Amino acid sequence: MSRMGSRKSFDLEWVERWARLVNEDRRLPVIGRFFDGRFVLGIDDTDFLIAVNQGKVQRIAESLAPNDFGFEFALRATSATWGKFAQQIPPPMFNDIWAMAHPLHRHLRIDGNAMPFWQNLQALTHMLSLMRKV
Amino acid sequence: MNQHDPIVGRYVYVQCGGKTYRTFYEEHGEGIPLVCLHTAGTDGRQYRHQLCDPDFAANFRVIAFDMPWHGKSLPPSDFYQMEDEYKLTTKFYAEFIVAFCHALELKKPVIMGQSMGGNICLELALRYESEFLAFIALEACDYSPGWWIDALNHPHIHGNQVVATATFGLMSPESPDDCRWETWWLYANGGPGVFKGDLYFYSVDSDFREHTAKISGRVPIYFLTGTYDFACTPEMTERTAEKVKNSECIIFEGGHFPTSEDPATFKKVIAPVLKKILALDHPDRRSAATGFATLNNGRTPQSVGSSPRNAPTGRRVIDL
Repeated sequence: MSRMGSRKSFDLEWVERWARLVNEDRRLPVIGRFFDGRFVLGIDDTDFLIAVNQGKVQRIAESLAPNDFGFEFALRATSATWGKFAQQIPPPMFNDIWAMAHPLHRHLRIDGNAMPFWQNLQALTHMLSLMRKV
Repeated sequence: MNQHDPIVGRYVYVQCGGKTYRTFYEEHGEGIPLVCLHTAGTDGRQYRHQLCDPDFAANFRVIAFDMPWHGKSLPPSDFYQMEDEYKLTTKFYAEFIVAFCHALELKKPVIMGQSMGGNICLELALRYESEFLAFIALEACDYSPGWWIDALNHPHIHGNQVVATATFGLMSPESPDDCRWETWWLYANGGPGVFKGDLYFYSVDSDFREHTAKISGRVPIYFLTGTYDFACTPEMTERTAEKVKNSECIIFEGGHFPTSEDPATFKKVIAPVLKKILALDHPDRRSAATGFATLNNGRTPQSVGSSPRNAPTGRRVIDL
């Protein structure tokens, strides 16, 4: 594997590996203690629903269903964008969620209610950075 | 024996816009005044490494002050009566920097600012060029939109956490962890609404695109921008520098907060610039010490790849 990371295949198994790293993390129980809710990780045309309780991932689901009763916010980008973000050393403009979403760059789209996104930014940023260890 | 930093801190009373501001500053060194401007929402602690560095102190009187509302400088005494939220304007920012230099009776100082402190160099070069010897504009460009957003000052959002985390990604992932998290901490220390209010200047009141070509070029401007700066990208700095007469543009491996996120790399990058500035000035203002040796930044940006994937079929659910 190069220093910049390997190719990622973003299927449910990959999301599960990431979610298990999230749940093993020792800081998230503290910084994510109040992070409850559901958000969508959108990769190309697939929405993965991520249910979070107290900073831990309770459930992941591939695609959305009526019985989910929706979600609070969605982070949607192409697999190419997530691939860069998830590299061990991500390249400039792809190393951070807000960097990718910023109006100057628009590599990632924040849909839905942005309030819980900003409220939980510290825990979410740490949570997503664990993609670099998958 | 106790160990101390060589920095000395004092308060000076600065008159600006009909008000008096008790202003905190720190300094160390002798020679050409080098006035350092902190980024939005933070304070002069961003320059603690340069303030302590004997190579800086050999030829420069390094001074870092806290703008009103920041660090140990208070807001104006009647701030609680303001009918609008705090907003830094281009006019006040430039006038305050000039007033601070006058209050300290500095003669032809060099201004070194980063982020908003870099952008204001363009206004200072346009309107106050006779006051200054040179400008070092770190992470600067003539227009930096997209940052004056309500999420940065909202009662439902933890302001300290959100401003520090929203700026964390501006740093290079390869900058030292302890320095990046110290920078995060400095951001988490700001007063409520101050970061957002500074960004009114940064993203709204400082569209200099029509003005940069009018800068005379009598005072040199050195632009330096890190590769990971997503607020002021290397391309944004390069486009600005192309329009500014008597300017240089240096792109280096790093991020938006070079003085605090990676002071060792910053020293290598800034050394040749400071040597050029020393050559501009009268020899009487600098000591016999040589200060900066020739140092080069040897790292180059990394190339990146992308990762295609296959679309999944069916719905699967995993309970963890």
